[in-house]
Amino acid sequence: MDLNQFQERLFEAGRNVGFTDMECYTRKREQFSCRLFEGAIDSYESAELFGLSFRGMFAGKMGYAFTERIDEEAISYLLENAKENALILKMDDEEDIFEGSSEYRADNYLSEALQEVTPQEKIAFLMDVERQVRAYDPRVTGIPYCTLGSSSQERSIRNTRGLALRDAKNEIYVAVGVKVEANGEVKSGSVYQATIDFESLNASEIARKICEEALGQLGSKVIPNKTYPVLFRSDVAAALLATFVPIFSAENVQKGRSLLAGKLGSRIGVDALTIVDHPFLPDGLASRNFDDEGFASRELKVVEKGTLLSFLHNRKTAKKDGVESTGHARKAQFNGSVSIAPSNLYIEPSDTSCDDLVASIDDGVLVTSLSGLHSGANPVSGEFSLAAHGYHIANGQIAEPLNQLTVAGNFFAVLQSIQAIGADLEFHPAAGGSVGAPSLVIQELSITVET
Amino acid sequence: MFAKSVIEEVLEAALSTGGDFSEIFVEDRRSNRLLLQGGKVEISNSGRDFGIGIRVYHGLNSVYTYTNDASKEGMLKAARNAAAAVQGDERASVAPLADRSIPSIHPIRWNPLDVAKSRKVDVMRRAYEIAYGYHEKIQQVMISSFDEEQNVLVANSEGTFAEDKRIRSRLAIQSIAVDGEKYETGFYGPGAHQGFEFLEGLDLYHYASEASRIAVTMLGAEPCPSGNFPVVIDNEFGGVIFHEACGHGLEATAVAKNNSVFANRIGEQVAPEIVTYIDDGTIANEWGSLTMDDEGEPTRRNVLIENGILKGYLIDKLNARRMGMSPTGSGRRQSYRFAPTSRMTNTFIAPGRSTPEEIISNTENGIYAKYMGGGQVNPATGDYNFAVMEAYRIENGKVTTPLKGATLIGNGPKTLQKVDMVGNNLGHGAGMCGSLSGSIPVNVGQPMLRVSEITVGGTKGAE
Repeated sequence: MDLNQFQERLFEAGRNVGFTDMECYTRKREQFSCRLFEGAIDSYESAELFGLSFRGMFAGKMGYAFTERIDEEAISYLLENAKENALILKMDDEEDIFEGSSEYRADNYLSEALQEVTPQEKIAFLMDVERQVRAYDPRVTGIPYCTLGSSSQERSIRNTRGLALRDAKNEIYVAVGVKVEANGEVKSGSVYQATIDFESLNASEIARKICEEALGQLGSKVIPNKTYPVLFRSDVAAALLATFVPIFSAENVQKGRSLLAGKLGSRIGVDALTIVDHPFLPDGLASRNFDDEGFASRELKVVEKGTLLSFLHNRKTAKKDGVESTGHARKAQFNGSVSIAPSNLYIEPSDTSCDDLVASIDDGVLVTSLSGLHSGANPVSGEFSLAAHGYHIANGQIAEPLNQLTVAGNFFAVLQSIQAIGADLEFHPAAGGSVGAPSLVIQELSITVET
Repeated sequence: MFAKSVIEEVLEAALSTGGDFSEIFVEDRRSNRLLLQGGKVEISNSGRDFGIGIRVYHGLNSVYTYTNDASKEGMLKAARNAAAAVQGDERASVAPLADRSIPSIHPIRWNPLDVAKSRKVDVMRRAYEIAYGYHEKIQQVMISSFDEEQNVLVANSEGTFAEDKRIRSRLAIQSIAVDGEKYETGFYGPGAHQGFEFLEGLDLYHYASEASRIAVTMLGAEPCPSGNFPVVIDNEFGGVIFHEACGHGLEATAVAKNNSVFANRIGEQVAPEIVTYIDDGTIANEWGSLTMDDEGEPTRRNVLIENGILKGYLIDKLNARRMGMSPTGSGRRQSYRFAPTSRMTNTFIAPGRSTPEEIISNTENGIYAKYMGGGQVNPATGDYNFAVMEAYRIENGKVTTPLKGATLIGNGPKTLQKVDMVGNNLGHGAGMCGSLSGSIPVNVGQPMLRVSEITVGGTKGAE
């Protein structure tokens, strides 16, 4: 049974058992990945996946069910379970099936060039990365992981109210870790780079970046535990912002899980802070013409010159607030419920170079990696206390590397105490979309260095 | 699920280009998820995941393909795709398949798939009422329940053909306490390799009030100071620190490639004598338990560290080859979308002799980590970090002020060496562990114990 036939049979059978409006959301995915160890292919994976999520109105309530198989049995499974699920729901704000936006852009985010790259070319590239990392310096003693993956995904939404949308996109990523040792000290470096442009990946650049990051950490020292001005490098600033993106979700605001509730039109950050969500970036990893409810995407200013202008909405939260959806409905997995996530959301860069940012600090800390973001940060209260690696900045220059440390503060205070913004915008795939930031200097945060 | 002859044909096809071992993993999983929020069922979703994964080894190289096209043609195509990535000289053959399924060691009374969702909602509602009614400052409570039946078949070219049914149930309670702009959460998420009887038999009063008590307590917490302190870590989920700091470093995934600080150290004293660390997948009905692993190997009790001496690792089939050792029943994966690798099941520090009262009263100026949050480790360096969900100051042998925003950082092997008291109150806590082969249910566990010194990073700064 092909998908079209299946959907027609499902909708017909659904009507017969009492469903009114119905919808199918599908994702079809092809993926490839390989991992190297000591110059040889250690693992090689390829996959074809398909998933269909059904939802339908039964007795005025929306029931959900999903399947990865489309066959005769799946039709009755979906309908029976969606019906039972609908019947136990007790919802004030009913969902409905969407007939579609009046207009859609037809931008293409599937890179034909990337589709053409063969597994052999991908493996050859990764081999080159691994070789260059190994040869970079005699202090390189291990490559804990060296992985490349690519995927292409087709998405479709079809319902009984006449909506029929389809799109496709692809991407490729490289993830490499390196271990370096000297005088009994062990340090590591890592990189995760994702793009839709295979040509933009540069093996020697990747090797240099992670090796320098790890080698630079050797000979690490301790500085007194106190508050310091902190420079978050762009990739780290993006990861921090991504962790706190849920504060902009209207769903969290409505459920009392965001301290930004009631702050629309208020100042939440410094003058220099502008945050935008741009769904049509040509090379954006989360670019799209419509969201997971089929709502047409559009550009959105979330924060302008420090003032909060909008939350991220899906249709349900927009209805509740009496506004229009901003096109940020997101299903993390094909079978999950509709939530909210950004597309390409970022802090607008300035024209100050990262070197100038360093030069502006007398006695501070440069943070080059953060970990424990999933556990050491509270997106509701804004509090964070995170493990980090980085360097001491003394008299406007990067000085000695520091032992593992923690950097602690509150994100809402961070937005109000950004002292300078860099020009070096970098994106971080996260928060269900893609989140970007330039390097940021924060007035003061609490630093504790492991002894 | 499939005839042996079809499986044999697929295993043959996977070996057609000279691989020396092939394996097929078939998975059929039905699951239910419910979310009760503000006293109302907000999400109810059910579904069926179905797919196959095919693995081929050629020496130490491994190829994995997976698909949810489980027709015979689909499986053969996946097998040939896997074979296409192998170039070997000799063609191995598939040994006659013999049924090696073993009876489940985790008895199930009520399959959750046969229980009406409304009965699950009844339990959730009871938990909701307890948690919500705990205190006037509790503003929101979210109760979620999850259950699944996972049917797996593992067959390989060595003749293994083994099926297993895993049934799991979990209830998660999240309470949110609010006071002005202060907002704190408390969480408790018990789970088991068990049916609906687990939910019905749960001490809801205990779990739901604890979640709310944590949230309310943390409203009155002070910012945590930073510096080095003796840290007393309580039992159950407190074990997460050694799960991260040691457990991951004992997985063959890290050890086989010499990426672990514990590699090549069997027989060495890696911890004080009072520390014994065990991974046991056979404990009846525990959240991390299995009858057989995802490579068809029966689970077992693996003593990793005994009286401080490193005894063994957690080893999957492929890494067993690399290490020249035997698999330990530790090959696990989230689903057919992941190739299996060595993972933990129920991992814990064995009980010692000290009572919890002795440990606290012997600590002059320290931190008491009552409930741990999550954490992370870098296996290459052993550096870890952890959030503490509920922490207190210990002053002159007494637990005093609650503290918020406490993060512990350090180095796993060094922290292990600094364990100086081990309590007698072993307890286990359920969690999800994410790694190379996906997110899987595991238990972490320990009795209360003390580490003589850990670096604590807090928002208050140095004192």
